[in-house]
Amino acid sequence: MSINMVKIGVVSCSGEDCLGGTISRLATRKMLDEVRPNATVTICLPLFLAGGVEERGFAEQFPTISVDGCSKACAKRATEKYSGKVSAAIDVSDLIGKEVAEAGALSTRNLTDEHKAMVEKLASEITTKFDEVLRVAQRDQVAKGLAMVGGRSSGGCGCGCGPK
Amino acid sequence: MSETIKVIPCSGMGKVYGLVARESALKVVQELCPKESSTVCLAYIVTGDPEAKELIEGEKCITLDGCPAMCAAKNAELAGGIVAEKIRVVDSFRKHKGVKPGTATELTEEGWLIADEIAGEIAEKVKLLSREG
Repeated sequence: MSINMVKIGVVSCSGEDCLGGTISRLATRKMLDEVRPNATVTICLPLFLAGGVEERGFAEQFPTISVDGCSKACAKRATEKYSGKVSAAIDVSDLIGKEVAEAGALSTRNLTDEHKAMVEKLASEITTKFDEVLRVAQRDQVAKGLAMVGGRSSGGCGCGCGPK
Repeated sequence: MSETIKVIPCSGMGKVYGLVARESALKVVQELCPKESSTVCLAYIVTGDPEAKELIEGEKCITLDGCPAMCAAKNAELAGGIVAEKIRVVDSFRKHKGVKPGTATELTEEGWLIADEIAGEIAEKVKLLSREG
């Protein structure tokens, strides 16, 4: 019987034009580094266009959660346009407010406690969705064989460049 | 056509080089050349929306990429941007062998020094391109 590790893709917009982009990036990194390191993978959004067939297969290979910094929902729309339907979508502006999310871009050099609290709040929301998506994915795996969550490897980038 | 040079980083998620690209670009557009440069959200460009394309089509761009996939340069070109300079962050690291720059989440002091160095080089290029008109 085969053992399949269930991993969930978290794709952030990492937008450079607004605060929400920085928050989306940091919360996604938190999933990879701390919250669900063994079960999270990610991919650089622009790689859907700059990469090849393998990259565009990301959302088919992994149930995917998009994390967008503003209501343009670029991560969700680009993932669905080039790769596949997302399993869940999060818009940072729903959590911290549109005006705050669309304020000027933030360097991590200037992170305040308030920004860190936003990252925590978003990571918590991602985790809730993550666990829901994971349960569904595990059910699907169980139907096919035996599912196992996580493993030795740490969370990494779906482009194959390896962790950090 | 706008009067600012577009500085576009890949903001790669997987390695520290992506974060260095992002931070260097933000330093240029926010601190070093706020009048001569601006950035465009790369994720928006990737959507292929006509409004996003309008932001970059025919504009002079400097792209910063953290890995050989060159996502920022390729996406800027696909959207019709005129990529005047393609910066490869990894090239700058060759001058700093053995440094520990941090991770894709957080830069160390050494990482910040390299990001600032790259930002300084880009600022020079922005000024040059601005003078060329």
